Amino acid sequence: MQSESARMSSAAEARYRIDAPNSKPRSVKVIALDHPSERVIKDLAQRKWNNASFFTASAFGGTPKQGESFAGWLSDLAGRTKNLIEEVNGADLVVMVAAAGESAQAASIIGEACSVKRVMTTALVLGGQSISDEALSKTLSHLRPWALMLVIASAEEYIADMLTALRA
Amino acid sequence: MLRKEQNDLLTRTGPGTPMGQMFRLSWQPALLAEELPENECPPVRVKLLGERLLAWRDTQGRYALTDEFCAHRGVSLWFGRNELNGLRCPYHGWKYDHTGQCTEVPSEPSESGFCQKIKLKSYPLVERGGVLWTYMGPPEKQPPLPEWEFALVPASHSFMSKRLQESNWLQAMEGGIDSSHVSFLHSGELNSDPLFKGSKGNAYNMADMKPVFEVVESPGGLYIGARRNAENGNYYWRVTQYVMPAFTMIPPRADHPVHGHFWVPIDDENCWAWSFDYKVTRPLSEKERKAMEAGQGIHVSYVPSTYIPAANKTNDYLVDRKAQKEGRTYSGVFGIAMQDASLQESMGPIVDRTKENLVSTDNGIIMARHRLLRALKAMEKGDTPPGIVAEHQHVRSAAVVLPPDKHFKDAAKEALVVQTGKEHVTV
Repeated sequence: MQSESARMSSAAEARYRIDAPNSKPRSVKVIALDHPSERVIKDLAQRKWNNASFFTASAFGGTPKQGESFAGWLSDLAGRTKNLIEEVNGADLVVMVAAAGESAQAASIIGEACSVKRVMTTALVLGGQSISDEALSKTLSHLRPWALMLVIASAEEYIADMLTALRA
Repeated sequence: MLRKEQNDLLTRTGPGTPMGQMFRLSWQPALLAEELPENECPPVRVKLLGERLLAWRDTQGRYALTDEFCAHRGVSLWFGRNELNGLRCPYHGWKYDHTGQCTEVPSEPSESGFCQKIKLKSYPLVERGGVLWTYMGPPEKQPPLPEWEFALVPASHSFMSKRLQESNWLQAMEGGIDSSHVSFLHSGELNSDPLFKGSKGNAYNMADMKPVFEVVESPGGLYIGARRNAENGNYYWRVTQYVMPAFTMIPPRADHPVHGHFWVPIDDENCWAWSFDYKVTRPLSEKERKAMEAGQGIHVSYVPSTYIPAANKTNDYLVDRKAQKEGRTYSGVFGIAMQDASLQESMGPIVDRTKENLVSTDNGIIMARHRLLRALKAMEKGDTPPGIVAEHQHVRSAAVVLPPDKHFKDAAKEALVVQTGKEHVTV
């Protein structure tokens, strides 16, 4: 007699897999950390997404000064200031996008907010192939402490592929 | 997730398919040299990339990989007589040489030259590193022979096995670059398998169950770095190599042989999992070789006289729930290879990737798919896909401890390429 594993892993049995949604939409916040990546994010925002929203932190620097509020530190793509903590609070995943060689200092403030709120972070570095190792290392040094997943991609199109793969 | 059309594009490898074309443009392991042990030995059926072929070795020792079926009435030449520099169909005596050229049609006058009009499709078949490799692409695009390091070390330094996996090649290959499953699925083996245990890296592995991943494109594919905490604020990095389309190399552990895989489509619902182990500067010890032959490490024990794993879907992979409960194995299945294969086969012959819910730590898999799709698009424009040139094959995996400010791709640059006469960098 055929074993259960043999029977159940057949193509014929695949027809009986339950065809119902097995996940709820995730909230993904995509944040450009610098001007070059802001341009990429703006293009990306034109596409249709399930529950992804796009922001920029390019106007902001690194850690806030003593007593400075964390409330701002984020803009939407129309330039309106957004509350970082509120945005992070409602996120399942925060994706930080940086251009290789640019300062990614804003990663620390975003990463800290995510750390406090226990939100998963991914950092994506674009164009890592085209700059010196030293310049890339500088960008990475700002991202690494705050990114639980770090990707260095040569093609801008990777962000769209990644967000699609993650059902963003 | 992938869209259905993307999933189809990556999983279909038969003749005329784009992914099949990518495989056909590079040398693929077709069978083990031990399967054709001597001149005029029995032929071996080989199915590769959805094509039914026959491998054989003629009177002069020339390897042949030809269409399995006689051009006359479609008889399988597996029943053929391997005699005097050719394979003769036992039905009506048609005979073929190692290139597939028909050399005799006994029923026709030999002066007619009829046999010259009959030729079976054939592919080159060459031995390197104990493996018989074939190239199934257009002859004018045939690249130089493969230069994977394991295939170039002396025979005493390496061990190669293959096993049937009853799933599409992509879900098998994706297991090879999915570093985050090791601390769970294979946790029982890290400290017990003779080809894994005793490495300091294992302690790092088990002490930090939440590695942080960095995925970086390489010329031939990807580096997938898994970072765990080590002493004094340093990081323990395990860097896996993926070279397109189907080569993966696991980071080494201590002085154990380093190992890796090829995931080669048989058809769209089955693949060969090729598993190699090697050392650069020393022969494998008798103990290591015996362990590999016994199916330890990444190898398996077989159903006698086959390359079918002894634990397989027909016997529920010999799952042992007691061992699972007692923590001797995490899933109840014994052996690293079958722990992976049992789960990957359970997904079905071709997993429906429209239903999956990938998470951030799956970026290695997401990037591999992205690069394959990108390479397929570039191939349409006439570009050569990655993984074919020698430079892409001269790669190594590595296990290193680095200061926190060092990027593994730079700090371990030398460790990630072949260093002649030097062992892998490992912890």
